[in-house]
Amino acid sequence: MSFRTIQEKLTSPAVLIGLSLGGLFVICLYPFLVLGYKITFPAPTGEFSLKYISSIFESKSVLTAFKNTAIVSLLTGIISVAIALPLSWLFTRTDLKGSSRWRSLFCLPYAIPPYLGAIAWIYLANPSNGLINEFLGTSFFNIYTMTGLIWVMSTFFFTFVLLSVLASLDRMDPSLEEAARLSGASPVHVFFDITLPIVRPSIFSGFLLVVLAAAASFGVPALIGNPANIYLLTTRIYTFQKAGSIAGLYKGGALSIVLLVLAIVILVINKKLLSKGHYETVAGKTARPSVLPLKAMMYPVIGFLLFLWGVLFVLPISGILITALSKVQGVFTLDNFGFQNFHRIFFDIEETPRAFMNSLKLAFGAATICTFLGLLLAYIQSKTRIKGRGAIDLLASLPYSTPGTVLALALILSFSSNFLGLPISLYNTLTLIGIAYMAKYLNFAVRTAGDGLGQIDDVLAEAARVSGASWWTTLKTIWFPLMKPALFASWFLVFMPAFSELTMTILLSGPGLETLGTLIFQMQEYSDVSGGGAAVLSIIVIVFVAGINTLIKVLSKGKYGL
Amino acid sequence: MSSVKFENVFKSYGDVQVITDLSFEVKDGDFVSFLGPSGCGKTTSLRMVSGLENNTKGKIYIDQDIVSHPDGGVFVPPEKRMLGMVFQSYAVWPHMNVFENVAYPLKVTGVSRAEQKERTMEILKTVEMDGYEKRMPNALSGGQQQRVALARGLVARPRVLLLDEPLSNLDAKLREKMRHDIREIQQKVGITCIYVTHDQIEAFTMSDKIIIMKDGVIVQEGKPSEIRENPASEFVKDFIS
Repeated sequence: MSFRTIQEKLTSPAVLIGLSLGGLFVICLYPFLVLGYKITFPAPTGEFSLKYISSIFESKSVLTAFKNTAIVSLLTGIISVAIALPLSWLFTRTDLKGSSRWRSLFCLPYAIPPYLGAIAWIYLANPSNGLINEFLGTSFFNIYTMTGLIWVMSTFFFTFVLLSVLASLDRMDPSLEEAARLSGASPVHVFFDITLPIVRPSIFSGFLLVVLAAAASFGVPALIGNPANIYLLTTRIYTFQKAGSIAGLYKGGALSIVLLVLAIVILVINKKLLSKGHYETVAGKTARPSVLPLKAMMYPVIGFLLFLWGVLFVLPISGILITALSKVQGVFTLDNFGFQNFHRIFFDIEETPRAFMNSLKLAFGAATICTFLGLLLAYIQSKTRIKGRGAIDLLASLPYSTPGTVLALALILSFSSNFLGLPISLYNTLTLIGIAYMAKYLNFAVRTAGDGLGQIDDVLAEAARVSGASWWTTLKTIWFPLMKPALFASWFLVFMPAFSELTMTILLSGPGLETLGTLIFQMQEYSDVSGGGAAVLSIIVIVFVAGINTLIKVLSKGKYGL
Repeated sequence: MSSVKFENVFKSYGDVQVITDLSFEVKDGDFVSFLGPSGCGKTTSLRMVSGLENNTKGKIYIDQDIVSHPDGGVFVPPEKRMLGMVFQSYAVWPHMNVFENVAYPLKVTGVSRAEQKERTMEILKTVEMDGYEKRMPNALSGGQQQRVALARGLVARPRVLLLDEPLSNLDAKLREKMRHDIREIQQKVGITCIYVTHDQIEAFTMSDKIIIMKDGVIVQEGKPSEIRENPASEFVKDFIS
């Protein structure tokens, strides 16, 4: 066989389609099957038993974790709606100056990993030497409380409601509101009679997403809750797993199944809600909805927005900056500021370059493979007639919707010792962390590639086929070049969250496998508590994330990114 | 008496002038159509009558009242102008049933419940939608939604009914029937109508008077027969043929 025929064989549609569907199965479905199987047919007997599931409901600490999770996620959801709803109204239905700029500003927290917010607020409001407390000369603010936990989560997750409601308000046919004005309703009446009822499903959907995100989050409850002895389900699973015993792993697994079921229930409700409440809104030709003039309220409103944004964003960032630049923490003289911490973290700590390289390698690998796999899967879904192709979207979104803690545990159970019956173990390897990233973010790649494919007329490819190009050549010479912007976006959309991932990595990594996320966590938790190391690395992550976000935005001409 | 009058009205978005020195009058009980290609300023003119857009210069009267005069600092907001409007997209509120949709203008203006009910049922009968009160909009056809929108526009006995390309989302057959029905209802109720369309058949079959616009100015106005017999320019001749 010549090289050419081998290449043709490898790139034949059947082989590529088979490989990508196989990959999809292995990373997106297989781990969940193993998780379910191993917990309900536990070793060594392998007989059906629900003892691990039932045992978690007998544990008092687990029941407390359930209660805490419910309180934290519901209250975070409510506060998020309370912050996001007035904002979205201001941004879309008033003549607020610079409203599109305000939108971007308030959506910013969406791009930053929440655990960095936890670290920032610990610097600001820990009871012993928090910057706010030092500055005000009190010890009134204590972040290590239930309130603190809910506050930090809300400062990030309100963006979910904001984005959801803004999208709905933008999509809404402006004549619906205009018709009410013409009927004699004042702008306030219009808001309560027409606007609010019509966007209600999207408000509730945003609320549910916040509840889910809060219940699934790990970094914030671990950094803020654990010191206060407030455990949520995710942090409980973490302690079970880190106990190191097989029994601990199984207990964590059982708890994971419960959390997964909760997540699925929430997502199903959400889906029902969106399909039921989705009003077909014909876009009228008047793109701008009639807006309420703020008049004399303009400057008070802008002042309030500046204040709110300062509290939500500038304050935490300043906390991180001050901590990173302080030679000695808690001293506010000018000569106490310098780049000593940066120097120490970069050159004196051996983990830093390793963590940086690991994060880079993992994010690069996951982004590249996901982009390619995502393109093939999107292609199969939209351009072929293969049976069951409709399930691709669902399968790819399964790990994405799964709490990271649960996914990591499922991967540990699936890929240690006997993966598919083979005697290989990926546990404690970078490969497994990479697989976790791919599983979690493949969804982004499939969606983005799907969007891109949808915009290209099939005739272009058909013309190539008629001209004598093979399937693979067509993909290479027609689809790839036309899809370039979407593929770039897809690559960065995977790269960005993978670069700073913490929740799954913390469960999957071991010595030598540090990533930026786990190193920041470790420094903050014990190895560099008073040295500002976590702050230094947080800055690196934020700068990186902001840079990539801008790049995506420019490359996609504003379609992706914030 | 219900009339609409524009006196030297200008409208611009930033540097872009969309309406230039527009003056016209719509007399009581008339059905007047604004006809022209897209972008000619006909919809903007209608929206300035409604108050959904502000003019940048000039005076707009409804009856004897000035409703907008920027230089004089006068601007009456849409909800205070006592108008009815039918939108191209129907704009029937998806979360209210037919009755609630139609009764809304009465409800917000504080009409008693009993009277709301009586007048809503009466107007639903006029547009041949009685029996559908409890239906939700997503269970109505496009033509039925259009009738609901029409009933809602008429129920509060507005001074003027504004119609913004109301038939362009309907299929050809239904459009023909609705053309006839709208004109019939207009004459039965005896209301002044301003009708915006790019379809010359609609304009010529329904109107007492047609105002043809191009690039933000009026190129010809008159009775349908006058315009047909005496087109003022090549553009008009071309557009109405």
